[in-house]
Order: sequence, then structure tokens, then C-alpha cells
Amino acid sequence: MAAALDITDLRFRYPNTTADVVRIDRFTLASGEQALLTAASGEGKSTLLQLVAGLMDPGHGFIRVDGTDVHGLHGAKRDLFRGTKIGMIFQTFNLLQGFTAAENVMMALKFSPVPKGEHRARAVELLSTTGLDTPDREVTQLSVGQQQRVAVARAAATSPVLVLADEPTASLDPETGEAAMDLIQETCRSIGAALVCTSHDPAMASRFERRESLGALRGETASQGA
Amino acid sequence: MAISDLAIIKRSLTARMFSAVTTVITVAVAVALMLTLLSMRDSGKAAFERGTGNMHLLISRDSSPLVSVLNGVFYADPPARSIDAPKLSELRNKYQPAFSYFIPTQQGDSYRGMPVLATTEEFFSRFSPDPDFSPDDEETDGEPWQLAEGEFFDAPFEVVFGSTAAKETGVQVGDGIFVVHGTEVSRKAADTAEQFSPHVHKDFEYRVVGILEPTGSSHDRALFTDLTSSWIIHAHDRRQAEDPTVTETTVTDLTPQDALVTGIYGRVATRAGSNVSAAIPAILSQLRADTSITVAQPKEEIDTLFEIVGSIDQILIAMAAAVMVSSGIAIMLALYNSMEQRRRQVAILRVLGCSRGRIVVLVLIESALLGLFGALLGLAGAFIGSQVVASALKAQVGLVVEPLFDPTLTASVVVAAVLLGAIAGLAPAILAYRTSVSRNLRPIG
Repeated sequence: MAAALDITDLRFRYPNTTADVVRIDRFTLASGEQALLTAASGEGKSTLLQLVAGLMDPGHGFIRVDGTDVHGLHGAKRDLFRGTKIGMIFQTFNLLQGFTAAENVMMALKFSPVPKGEHRARAVELLSTTGLDTPDREVTQLSVGQQQRVAVARAAATSPVLVLADEPTASLDPETGEAAMDLIQETCRSIGAALVCTSHDPAMASRFERRESLGALRGETASQGA
Repeated sequence: MAISDLAIIKRSLTARMFSAVTTVITVAVAVALMLTLLSMRDSGKAAFERGTGNMHLLISRDSSPLVSVLNGVFYADPPARSIDAPKLSELRNKYQPAFSYFIPTQQGDSYRGMPVLATTEEFFSRFSPDPDFSPDDEETDGEPWQLAEGEFFDAPFEVVFGSTAAKETGVQVGDGIFVVHGTEVSRKAADTAEQFSPHVHKDFEYRVVGILEPTGSSHDRALFTDLTSSWIIHAHDRRQAEDPTVTETTVTDLTPQDALVTGIYGRVATRAGSNVSAAIPAILSQLRADTSITVAQPKEEIDTLFEIVGSIDQILIAMAAAVMVSSGIAIMLALYNSMEQRRRQVAILRVLGCSRGRIVVLVLIESALLGLFGALLGLAGAFIGSQVVASALKAQVGLVVEPLFDPTLTASVVVAAVLLGAIAGLAPAILAYRTSVSRNLRPIG
């Protein structure tokens, strides 16, 4: 069985800069495995996640998701692959304003091979699983906690092999943050998706058996993996 | 059930409702303007040509040939000066042999704002609003005029209504009416037979004997009666002014000074199958040598009028095209500005698996839809607008214009608006295509 995520010899630097923002010789994540990626602000966590999602191209190296070289795919094929195999959760949720909770989840299914007839039922069911029973309410009318649920349901909609969560609790109070992390981790387990979660919150460490720092991956210090 | 592309576009438009509505209105105004101008241009000329019909010459004592055509054929104003009986006889004796018809007409009276044309029965048997109707050609099919009801007049104080005149006044065959002489004020005062003003010819009741089928010409809003009745009522006015005790006037009381006409419709005799005659220039030249009359070739006057109006027409159509282009720019600006607000939405859709190509298509469909909605609204506006212009033309210059929307031309304008919308969407679509996902999903670390 292919690893959910397999990074080899990855190098990335922004144009007109001399230092690599991301430098990872080797990183693998087994199917269903959950890892915390820590780094100080500006150290390239978000850049790494966007490289993994195929939203940016690396200068060097390979990223394989579920055995597929993400950057070997181009244009609409890469977009379809991302939409189907990778779920993303953002600090500010990035929900589509003007659409209902169910429509936000259905939007993730729209660009996937999931049969159209199943979209609505699947979205409502997923929202219900995450604890949201008002699928037809517009997202702007939802509380922060409810919006987080929509974001999690959307990331899980296509049953991806990998979920990328970028500082998912940074804008939440500690109590809500705990609940949100419970939901994210539990949802990933239930759909069998691997999870890469970035955070600079030390309290998160206890939730993950596997913890990596970008500095360590660059070879600056040893891995903190258990 | 899945969320459709149209649902995404609909949300996008409703989220910016004000901008979308104003953009659609801008396009609609441009389309309506263009369609109205195109429609009025074609139907206007057709209406003018139907008014002059198959006559070759119009003789009057108006100040100019164009004025005589506008007054004598399009009922703009009653002609101010008349041709008297001796002059009419002189002209008749001299020219009638060369003419296919020589029809005297007199204007000056009206009924509820509708002009009355007093003439002879030849008006209905020889003159036709159809420019191609040849009264001397045995092969000519049909009659020059069609009656919807009743018959043509054949005695004094019988009147035939044009179709519009009948419709607007609501008269029926068999009704009695009183015509009025003079200004608009006196015409309005006689809206009902009971409300006589001093200018109403109240001693003479006309009997409605026929109602014409519509011809699409200026004559649809006129009433037709014979010259004798018109001469009698004016002779009665004259006699009462001379002697207030006079109570009755008959045909025997007419003097040569009462037998006035204001215009003569003339058609030069032609060979069978032909609508023109080689004799026209010579006759025209002879007639024009007589400075006491004004001779007009109605077709030429209409052509001259349309040459003058035509250049204005082209400027107006160019202006309408410019308005359409600027409405396209309005679509582009509205979408381009909205793209600033929509960068995050585009970025999210990209994260969810939407390709750049599909984003471009979504923006182009949205802009084309703005063009389409504008075009449909404009189409409705053009129908209403052209009716307004048509009724204004009828009220102001007596020109009956049936707005004609050529289906091909109308479809072309609608398609042009949709294409213009789609083209206007190109720049915003390129902006959407280039939207950086990573930059627009911040803050994310």
C-alpha cells in the first residue's frame, strides 16, 4: 500500500531569494497516520502544505500523495487530483460566503468523480456527523465553532487520503480549539485519511504521536518523533 | 442533487445585486436604443411611402413642395391656402387628359382630433396607399381600398372612417357625427355631440357609412367625405355671417367662391404594368411654370426628407453602437472590480479542485448572461419605446408608423449584446485565471 505522503529531496525557494524556505530530504506518512508539523511563524509551514497540495511547484524533488507524483500532473488533472485526494482546512476556514453549509460541502464534491445524485445527501450526512444539523443555513449565520465543522466536513467530503490542516486552531479560544482538534482527528480516523497538522501551539503536541519540526526536517536538529 | 455552474453564477450575481442590475440596465438601454432606431428607420420610410401611395404629383398652394406633402398627405396641418373653383377648372381642362386621375381634396375640418378629407369618389376607386397599385392596368388585382364594414360614400353628408380614426373614436356604421372647424381647442371641446363649441358645424350631421381596413398609412386616422358636403357647411358659415337669420343651406346656395380645394392628387397616365411615365418631367415643368400653385412629387419629397433624416439616422445608429460598446465596458468594469472581492472565492474553488479553465468559463458565462439579460430587457424596452415614438409621430406629424422588428436584425442585436458581454468578460476572466491561490488564502501561517 502506497504511503499517504512521500516527500523526497524537496527544495523550494521564492524567486529572487538565495535560501531554501523548504528543504526536506525525506518524509513519509503512512496511510491514516497523523503528524504534527511545528515551526515558528514564517518558517515555511504553509509553503510546504501548498507544495503538497500542488498549488505551488518545487524547485527540486518529489512529492507523492497516495503514490502519485503530484507535480507530474498538470493543469486540470492536478486540480482534479487535489480535489479528490487531498482535503484542506484553514485557520480562517475559507468558506464560500453567500452559500449554505451544505453547499460549501457540495462544492468540494462538485469537482470530484462522486456521482452528482449523491452530493446533497452526502454533504448533509457529513455535516450531521460533525455535529451540524442546520445544513441549509448560510455560513455567515453560523457561529465560529459551526463554521469549523463545515470546514472539516468539506475537507472530508471526497474521502481524501490526506488532510492538510494549516493552523486550524489559531483563531479559536483554547476550549473551542480542543473541540475542533478532536473533531478533525476523529473525522480523519473515521474516513481513514492521513493528517498533517501545522501549529505553533505547544499544547497541541500531546495530541500527536508523531511530531516533526521543519527545522529538524531541514537537518538542523533531531526529529521529535516518538 | 449537485450544485451547478449556474447556481454558482447566480450567487455571484446576487451577491453583487446592485452592480449586476445597473450593468444590465446599461446594456438594456443600449439595446433598446439600437433596436428602436433600426425598427423606426425601416417602418418610418414604409409608412411615408404608403401615405403618398400611387400618386405622382400633388398640387396645392402651400409654401413649399415638402410642406404640401406633409399637409396634404400626412395631415400635419390643414393647408393654409386654397385653390379656387376657376383655378381648379383651368388646371383640370389643361391637364386632366394626360392624367390617370386628378382628385381634388379639401382639408380643414376634423372630428375629435381626426382630420377630415373631403374629396371625390375617385379617391377610393383610383388612388391607393399601395405605391404599386396601377388603376389603369386591367391585370391589377383587387381594389385600391378595402372596407372593414359598410360602404364608400356616394352622397353628401356620408362619411367613411379610416381604421385608426374609427378605433380611437369608437364610432360605428350608422352613427351620426358633427365635424368641427378650426383649432385644436375647438376640436377638444367637441368630444361629445352635446358639448358643441361655436366652431362645430352643428347644423349638419354626417352619417357614418363605412369603416376602412387598416392600410398602415397616414390615411388610417382620417375621415373621408365628399366635397359638396364640405362646401355646403362652409357656405352655411359664410351665409350666416352675412345674414344671421339664415337657417338652411343647400347645394343650390353654393357659389364659385365656396368651391375651394386645398390639394389635388394627380397620377399621370402610364402604360400597363408600369408605375412611371416619361411624360412626368414635361408635365411637371409646365405646372411649375405656373407660380400661383405649388407642385410636389411626393416620392421625391419623401426621398429628400429621408436623405436629410438619413444622415441623422446614421449618426444616431453610430451613437447607439457607441452606447452598446460602452455598456460592454460597464460589464467589464463591474466584473473586473468584483474580481478583487472574488479572488478568495476563486482561490477556494481552486483548492477544492476547480481548474483554471473552468474558472475562466464561469466568469465568461456570467458576463455573457449580463449581456443576455440586458438584451432581453432592452428588447422589451424597444417594443415599448417604439410604440411611444410611433404614437408621438402620429400625434406630432400625423405619421402612422407600425414599428417593425425584423427578426434577423433583432436576433443579431441580441446576439451582439451577448457576444459583447462575453468579450467584456475576457479581462476579468484572465484576472481570475491568474489569481494566485496561495496569496489569496492568507492568513494561513
